[in-house]
Amino acid sequence: MQHVIKTEEFTIGSEPYYQPLGREVEIFETAYANRIPVLLKGPTGCGKTRFMQYMAWKLRRPLITVSCHDDLTAADLVGRYLVAGGETVWLDGPLTRAVKAGGFCYLDEIVEARKDTTVVIHPLADDRRILPIEKRGEILAAPPEFLLAVSYNPGYQSVLKDLKQSTRQRFLAISFTYPPRETEAGIVSHESGISEELCLKLVSFAEKTRNLKDRGLIEGASTRLLIHAAKLMGAGISSREACRHAVSEALTDDEEMLRALGELAASIFCCRATFSTRSSSGTTSSGTFGSISSMMTRSVPY
Amino acid sequence: MPSTLKRISIASALLSHRDLERWLSHAYDILDHEGIGRFIEFTSHIEEEELQRFRTARGLRLSDVAHLLTTFLRGLSGTELRVAAGDESYTDTVTVFLPHAIDRYADLERDFMIYKLLAAHAWAQLTFGTLLPGKETLDKFLGEQGTDSPDIAALFRLFPGQGMAEHIYAVIEAVRLEYILRRELPGLMADICDIKNAYLKERPSLQGLSGKTLFVERLYQMYLGDRCGADRHEDADVAADALCRLAEHQSHEESLHSLMIICRQAEDARGEYSPLPIPFPLMIRPAAVSLQLRARRRIRKQTVERAIAKLLSMPEVRPRTRPAGRSTGDERRAIPEREYLLISGRVLELDAELREILDDRGGMPGGILVKGAGLGAEASPLTLDELVAEADTVQQAAGGIPYDEWDFKRGGFKKKWCMVHEKDIHPDAEPFVEMTLKRYRGTVTLLRRKFELLRREPKMLRRQKEGDDIDLDAVVEAYADSIAGRSPSEGLFTKYDRHERSMASLFLLDMSGSTKGWILEAEKEALVLMAEALETLGDRYAIYGFSGMTRNKCDFFHCKSFDEPYSEMVKRRISGISPKDYTRMGPAIRHATNLLSDVKARTKLLITISDGRPEDYDAYKGTYGIEDTRKALIEAKEQGVHSFCITIDREAGSYIRHMYGAVNYAVIDDVRQLPHRITEIYRRLTF
Ligand SMILES: Nc1ncnc2c1ncn2[C@@H]1O[C@H](COP(=O)(O)OP(=O)(O)OP(=O)(O)O)[C@@H](O)[C@H]1O
Ligand SMILES: [Mg+2]
Repeated sequence: MQHVIKTEEFTIGSEPYYQPLGREVEIFETAYANRIPVLLKGPTGCGKTRFMQYMAWKLRRPLITVSCHDDLTAADLVGRYLVAGGETVWLDGPLTRAVKAGGFCYLDEIVEARKDTTVVIHPLADDRRILPIEKRGEILAAPPEFLLAVSYNPGYQSVLKDLKQSTRQRFLAISFTYPPRETEAGIVSHESGISEELCLKLVSFAEKTRNLKDRGLIEGASTRLLIHAAKLMGAGISSREACRHAVSEALTDDEEMLRALGELAASIFCCRATFSTRSSSGTTSSGTFGSISSMMTRSVPY
Repeated sequence: MPSTLKRISIASALLSHRDLERWLSHAYDILDHEGIGRFIEFTSHIEEEELQRFRTARGLRLSDVAHLLTTFLRGLSGTELRVAAGDESYTDTVTVFLPHAIDRYADLERDFMIYKLLAAHAWAQLTFGTLLPGKETLDKFLGEQGTDSPDIAALFRLFPGQGMAEHIYAVIEAVRLEYILRRELPGLMADICDIKNAYLKERPSLQGLSGKTLFVERLYQMYLGDRCGADRHEDADVAADALCRLAEHQSHEESLHSLMIICRQAEDARGEYSPLPIPFPLMIRPAAVSLQLRARRRIRKQTVERAIAKLLSMPEVRPRTRPAGRSTGDERRAIPEREYLLISGRVLELDAELREILDDRGGMPGGILVKGAGLGAEASPLTLDELVAEADTVQQAAGGIPYDEWDFKRGGFKKKWCMVHEKDIHPDAEPFVEMTLKRYRGTVTLLRRKFELLRREPKMLRRQKEGDDIDLDAVVEAYADSIAGRSPSEGLFTKYDRHERSMASLFLLDMSGSTKGWILEAEKEALVLMAEALETLGDRYAIYGFSGMTRNKCDFFHCKSFDEPYSEMVKRRISGISPKDYTRMGPAIRHATNLLSDVKARTKLLITISDGRPEDYDAYKGTYGIEDTRKALIEAKEQGVHSFCITIDREAGSYIRHMYGAVNYAVIDDVRQLPHRITEIYRRLTF
């Protein structure tokens, strides 16, 4: 069934690129030294996973990441018996393996997991630091090197998915936000290889989409999306197109919002060709969505 | 009335169908807001030039792109700005006024470019200090004439009339902001030279002008002709020089400096100034800006003045001192070097507002100013709000359900402060629900289908004792268990389940007077659509409204309770929802939370729909109302009630984020969107 990956293989060999934004590295290290589990919160694509990779590398621990979903059972985390050649074999789940190896276990998007799954981490996340393996009648004590980390996006707009107090109050929380302008441009530039100057413009565009959060957009553009756009631009795709495919379309399906985002992108990125040929008016329309004339025919319901 | 009908039919013959609709909806707006008299007056003007205003303009109409431009502006600024048609382009810091239509090019995209440029300039004027230079800067330029809260209008009063200074400032800022915009929005500015050139061609020849008019027009044409670069001309005079200097110094202070220099020179020119219009980019209207700023301050001031009046009518007491032996660390104490107002035996904190009012009135009858040192270390001054609160306690009305209210200044609750009275909404026979369903026929069909799909979406349950299919994972596990000599689990099947939703939602509707008209109509329509969706879904829900006047009269209107079916009576109550008084949100939220906590459901949802700031007749205003509402929402959250606040607020300020920040919210700026958006919001929230 599953290929058993040795825990050592999760050790991160070379230094991941991570640009600290505040004192998060120091705080994480202190939490680790004091064996306090860590909760990373923040919007999607702002560097939580990358930060974990960096910390795992820095502290030289293997990192096991589990992406949570609503079908994830406790057995998926802890482990189960399997049958092989008429015999039963116990297979450790990722959480058990991380505990045994004294590694980092990172449960990504913890709110997505079912509530009954979430509770298995409770004894591990308080000062007992134990993992009961019910099926085997065992209790595993976590070695001092073990660390539990979870991530969570508080902006998530669903009342059905919220982190229980009894879960969240076991963790030390580090909050991630979008980095300051220059820093973010530096990150995008580093990850994509395009110039910082262009990246600054991308960040400026992102800021404008973030202004529209809760005003038509559920979430603004993440650093990750900017990196996607930058990669497209690096491959020679025009900046407006890159913004459209990597950012706008990823953020919303709403036609009018897409058009507005297109206008914002077009305002930031030059594309001299726009109006030089007036004859081809239909297609030049500043690289945005739906022409103005098409908007005029849409009537309002009053 | 018959003659009005006749006139309407005449108008209908003169206007196209869409134009007539516009004309009529304007008429109804007048009826709603200004009454029947003005309505009749309006409909009696059916002369050609009056109707012309409602004829479809050629070119690009603002109404077609207003929404897009609003989103564009919001993206740029991150604040709520309104877009509206005006006779000239300018902004008063709340609304950006733009031409009713633009018809300069054959290509509508290009006409739209002008709108975007104007909007961008408006954003820049607000962001880079043109209209709001800040007190420090203003003080520098106003010198002796400075006031406590100066604004840009005060600055322009320094210049003689005729609006020449405003025009000069408009040109200066056009130049300066263009530099900034070229940097911030280079894509937008790519074609600026062509566009300005087109405007330049329409300007009168300088030869035909003289004196002050020539002076200003020359500067404007310098801007349009792009001759304000850093490379100065030999023939440049002081004014041109000042304009060109902006290439290097782009601070708003530098702009004001240039304004002073240029205006001084302009004054020396001969004759009267006969202003020529400045169509591009924006005009500057300091008076309009000032009006907005003052309106905001006036509301604050009224609150304070009411508080003082109350204070004066209260019986005299000894200066309040800390009761001995009960020293709480957070109690306010008089600071020796600051001044306090001693009035009716009370020690009052002298904040900026109170100071201003004192200055305005030239003192306070019965009050004296005292240094903190003169009051003794024991004196603990009160804030105005605390005093108002104390004065209020005297009269407690009987009846109602009492609720605490949060007083942010005090950092504590006022116990049993508000009285909530539950009332029935008076049913109305008008077939509002049917009409709404008809009007939104397409939407309703779509809605039903969408929500039906959700309801039917089966959820696969694993490890069931019985079911439709075998759960392979479980079987393997059981097999393994049995070989290992452990008792295997019995749950070996999967089962599809109409995933039971244990959900109770309470819709809380703002019925305050300010919702009168379209907002309330849209709220009601939204309710109808929502009820339709919820009936399809089978979720439990209740509908209530709230309004009231003062803390003793917080009305909570019942429309549909949780256990009540969506009956004819409920529909007639929806129809009967009508605007009432004020918006005291806190007690309504607390009462709704209470109702929800009596309901058995795994997930409890409170959806409030309101139109802006919580505000009541008394001191429940501004920060106080915002903080209490915020607190009520946090309390709800603590009791396991999830809140979602929908606000229809075209001028919603940054306070929204603070007030609703602890819970989820959405700002809907176009009330027409509410019925369409609400079911979408509900879907996103609960799936
Ligand atoms: N501070 C940072 N230093 C380096 N790279 C960063 C940083 N922040 C973001 N990134 C880049 O952004 C990308 C997305 O970040 P990451 O995958 O860590 O997001 P996340 O917060 O885990 O998102 P999600 O919640 O969706 O999982 C990374 O691949 C990385 O390239
Ligand atoms: Mg991640």
